[in-house]
Amino acid sequence: MTANIFIHAATDSISDITKGPLSGTMIALQSNISVRNWPTEAGSRALEGFIALEDATVVERLRKAGASIAGNLTMSELGLGLSGNISARAVSEGYADATLSADMMGEARIAAAAHRLIGFKPSYGIMSRFGFIGLIPSMECIGIIAKSPEVITDVLKAATGFDERDFSMSPDIPSFDSSDEIEPSATTIGTITQAHAFLAPAEEEIFKEALEALEDAGFMLKEISLEDFDLFRTVHHIVGSVEASSSGGKYDGVRFGHRAGAAKNWNDMYLKSRAESFGTVVKSFLFQGAYFQFEDYGTFEKACRIRAKLLKTVQTLFDTIDFLVLPQAVRSVPESETTAIDTLYDLCALTLPANVTGHPALCLPSKDGLSLQFIARHLRDGELLSLARYLVR
Amino acid sequence: MKYEAVIGLEIHVQLNSKTKMFCDCPNCPGDDPNKNTCPICLWLPGAIPRFSEEVLEKATITALALNCEIQPVNAFDQKVYYYPDLPKGFQLSQFHKPLAKNGWVEIFDEEGCPKKIGIHQVHMEEDVAKLMHETEGRTPISLVDFNRAGTPLTEIVSKPDIRTPFEAMEYIKALRAQIRYAGSAECSMEQGTMRVDANVSIRPEGSEELNTKVEIKNMNSIHNVGDAIAYEIERQAKCLDTGEPIILHTRLWDPEKKVTLPMRGKFEGPCIPDPSVPPITISEEWLNKMRTRLPEMPVRKAARFTDQYGLNHDEASLMSSERELSEYFETVTKLAIPPRTAVHWISTQLMPLMKDNNQTFPNLTITPERLASLIGMLERDEINAKSAREVLTKLFSTDSTPEAIVNEFGFRQVSDTDALVSLIDSVLAKNPQAVSDLKAGTQKAMGFLIGQAMQASKGKANPKLIREILLKKFE
Repeated sequence: MTANIFIHAATDSISDITKGPLSGTMIALQSNISVRNWPTEAGSRALEGFIALEDATVVERLRKAGASIAGNLTMSELGLGLSGNISARAVSEGYADATLSADMMGEARIAAAAHRLIGFKPSYGIMSRFGFIGLIPSMECIGIIAKSPEVITDVLKAATGFDERDFSMSPDIPSFDSSDEIEPSATTIGTITQAHAFLAPAEEEIFKEALEALEDAGFMLKEISLEDFDLFRTVHHIVGSVEASSSGGKYDGVRFGHRAGAAKNWNDMYLKSRAESFGTVVKSFLFQGAYFQFEDYGTFEKACRIRAKLLKTVQTLFDTIDFLVLPQAVRSVPESETTAIDTLYDLCALTLPANVTGHPALCLPSKDGLSLQFIARHLRDGELLSLARYLVR
Repeated sequence: MKYEAVIGLEIHVQLNSKTKMFCDCPNCPGDDPNKNTCPICLWLPGAIPRFSEEVLEKATITALALNCEIQPVNAFDQKVYYYPDLPKGFQLSQFHKPLAKNGWVEIFDEEGCPKKIGIHQVHMEEDVAKLMHETEGRTPISLVDFNRAGTPLTEIVSKPDIRTPFEAMEYIKALRAQIRYAGSAECSMEQGTMRVDANVSIRPEGSEELNTKVEIKNMNSIHNVGDAIAYEIERQAKCLDTGEPIILHTRLWDPEKKVTLPMRGKFEGPCIPDPSVPPITISEEWLNKMRTRLPEMPVRKAARFTDQYGLNHDEASLMSSERELSEYFETVTKLAIPPRTAVHWISTQLMPLMKDNNQTFPNLTITPERLASLIGMLERDEINAKSAREVLTKLFSTDSTPEAIVNEFGFRQVSDTDALVSLIDSVLAKNPQAVSDLKAGTQKAMGFLIGQAMQASKGKANPKLIREILLKKFE
């Protein structure tokens, strides 16, 4: 049934471009990626009735490369949460070859893992965010979910590159033309001691076996202890929620979206409209952000400083390793919307570090339902995909 | 008790860039409502602000004109408040990392002594939309015009160096002259392109303490600023004298009643760094390019006018007070007009007539060439001063050259001695009493006879020649 996963299913989705690199590739979008004249509500009543005026840069580029856009999908509100893994289902159920899906704390990667697909989060700043409707500007990316590394590579090649409409992009974006061969004996993969604590004993066993398999393939493994691993979550929670609370001010019901009737005055209009628009998860996230912003700003500033330190730490790690590997355990991702922010953070504890630091990350299905999440150096998305191609073979 | 006021001003200046601050929409707030809007300045979902380099240039030149230190990195913050004139729940402003710091402008205080007023910082921020309150039938409705939303402002925050309403007004004038010189903004309080808020506190004279300040808004002329501050100083003094505490709040100036009235406190949270507009790094090379674009500023120009043209202090500072005026003056002198003559004609004749004709230097129809050719005729005694003034008046209402007007209306001065001698003879014949007075040595009679001769010539005679002829006759 397409009805329950698509909000807008394109009727004329097949591209006319028959010789582009993505000709014949069907791509589904989350409904927070703008397509001109399509309802683009990002799963929120705060955008009720909003019809995008322009194509997102990625949509424009994918179409130019010959991709067919299948439609846009139902999603959790403003991309926060994992409700139903619709974006992964669209691929696993055959509606699309790839999905573009928001990744704020690992949602795209986790959804992919749950459906035994490959989930990819690009380096921050290589894919234009113009036309992408989000919540945490400094952490969110458009992720890609697909069955093979090749599809992800093709989509990435077409979609990335500097866009003068997004000033926050990286100034030097590499092209992904080179399909470097991975030489395992010259490749060091780091593991993080503290990550094991997030696994149940059985899961840990499977993870250890997966690591052994990597060693058997000739990769060098290096175990690293990161005492402050928990800080990734804390920093994400504080900085992310403050950004969401502040940047989310634009969802006010004045120019678009739901506006409450019968308000006494402006203030009342804002309060009522926002109260009626947002769901529980977004609301509690915004509340938490507002708390730090207005009541405990010093903690927000500290979190920003710690974020900079964490970034340095990770950059330093890559002096001695080529990739990091973290386990993505088999977790039943809730079918309905997650209702507690803490549950969401529990689920995303191992994926959110890449959002905090902006590194590229890829979840690859491994044994017995386990996925391995690989993280590469910033802007070395190509190497990460080469590794995935090697491991899939 | 005698009190002293401590005054700081926060001045918002609308930059005259072609586009808005974060999109390509025209920077024309006065156009038909909502004509100049796009998804970015309406902050529709998915839009990303794109900072305009032209705005950065204009803001930097403004800060340089105020002798500020441009910071190597500046960045935008989200200043959060909810109001329908603010389309996204926060205003992009610079709080943590302003564009520039530590500037100053020089003023002359009540005693005429020079005094430097420090500038704490200059930063950039976007303007908000305009609300229009109307009624639909009987229901009051509020409409939003987003033309102004996202247009560029610089906010200039002074140090609390100002002590009197007079100094505050002088500071605004000096700052306005500097910025207009730099050409980055129009700075009209009346038209809203310059908005001034004042922070006022008082303390016992001679003390160094800084007391609770009160913010005053809603002054729409420089005089209003002076009046509002004067009122507020007196109000606070009364409070202190009667033991009433002064509370940090905002008051609005009521120009009709000439009082400040308390307004409801505005909720203001701290600013968080904006994650979508990356920090802006200023290179020394770029900054040097901006420095070369800064024109010669008034103080230096006045000094040069004194050296180069021999103007006295007042003349030099008047001729350099406005950029267009100074350029006009220099063009006239380059057309072979003696500099002090040019000053005299521009300040005592041209400028009052400009005011009468509602003209300013940018739209002045009396080009430097027209004025120079008029003064040239006067210098060559082809016309007299009175005629020259009349010709100047006529120049405002015609495209003709001064020469053409002089010929058309017969202003050319009669300098033909023979013609004048016979004219004077007939005047003398008609005024025997004056002649005998003059013979008796009454100097007043000379003036009277010259006047009579001028009248007989219908103002066209050269008065110098008349005097010479008369003197010869009565030697």
